[in-house]
Amino acid sequence: MSILLSLFLELSAFSLIAFGGVNALLPVLFDLAVNQKHWIDVQTFSDYFAIAQAAPGPNFMTVTLIGWHIYGVLGALLATFAVSWPSSIMVYYLQRFITGMKNPLSKKTIQYAAAALAIGLVLSSAFQIALQINHSLAAYILTIGTIAITLLTRWHPLYLIAIGGALGVLGFV
Amino acid sequence: MSGFGGVLPWARRTLVERDKILTSEEFSAILGICQIVPGPNIMNLAVCIGSRFGGARGALAATLGLCLGPISIVLCLALLYEHYSYLETVKGLLRGISAVGVGLIASTGFKMMRDEIRYPAMFLVVALTIIAATVFHLGLGYVVLLVAPIAVFLARKKAQAL
Repeated sequence: MSILLSLFLELSAFSLIAFGGVNALLPVLFDLAVNQKHWIDVQTFSDYFAIAQAAPGPNFMTVTLIGWHIYGVLGALLATFAVSWPSSIMVYYLQRFITGMKNPLSKKTIQYAAAALAIGLVLSSAFQIALQINHSLAAYILTIGTIAITLLTRWHPLYLIAIGGALGVLGFV
Repeated sequence: MSGFGGVLPWARRTLVERDKILTSEEFSAILGICQIVPGPNIMNLAVCIGSRFGGARGALAATLGLCLGPISIVLCLALLYEHYSYLETVKGLLRGISAVGVGLIASTGFKMMRDEIRYPAMFLVVALTIIAATVFHLGLGYVVLLVAPIAVFLARKKAQAL
């Protein structure tokens, strides 16, 4: 029971500092789950990341899988809830506040500022987590190729995931 | 449910590129709000867009709708993983997928960056955030505290200029 409590408290706290969302904070989640709490090892973390990416649905489910690893279905549900509730309540009120703002200039200011910050956080996270999960030159080429293809074409991400998986199965990555 | 590869790229495609419910800048702005608030930004996005169309109940419906199906599926995959993770094929499969997955996260960032071309000074904010987070390894709270004043200053200029 105490590990469930610890999971709930740690992830709720994580949710409160998770500026930029879970993907922007994957490096912090990695540090918490692997280095500090020893819930899972490096390989399991990167495998769970892959499963969360490949499965339909939100890709913050790396967190759900960590919960599952610790305490089965209950752990999974608790982890998902813990990581969501603080921010959901916060954003609900914040968004009303911003939408309700009368001065269009301040409204735009907040939106532009937040968008620019978000871009920076998402890109840094991708960079840091790539350093943790890519172990070969081929993996980096695959990551960079993915970026190029998504920017230049309108392919559905699922095709890229399928290609990546196939290359991995064939032993190229 | 069809949000393969993470819901963020999918949400952007569906809401902006296909259904045109939101413009690209509106999407970045809402996402920006959702990302400046800590927590899973896709859940926040569900709360924002859900509440925009149906208040608190809309928000709850959107988050539950977003989560329940996918959680069941991901847990089934986790069971399979438990049994077959020793296979070299499975290991390779996951290595390939995670390399693509990290690329997808990065490209969401790059796509959002395209909107900043109209006011290139904002690139300074993006660059500062990246440097603070990756070169100096500052905690994210500090990164936000450090960069936010500059972001707000430049954003105000951008809002006046456009």
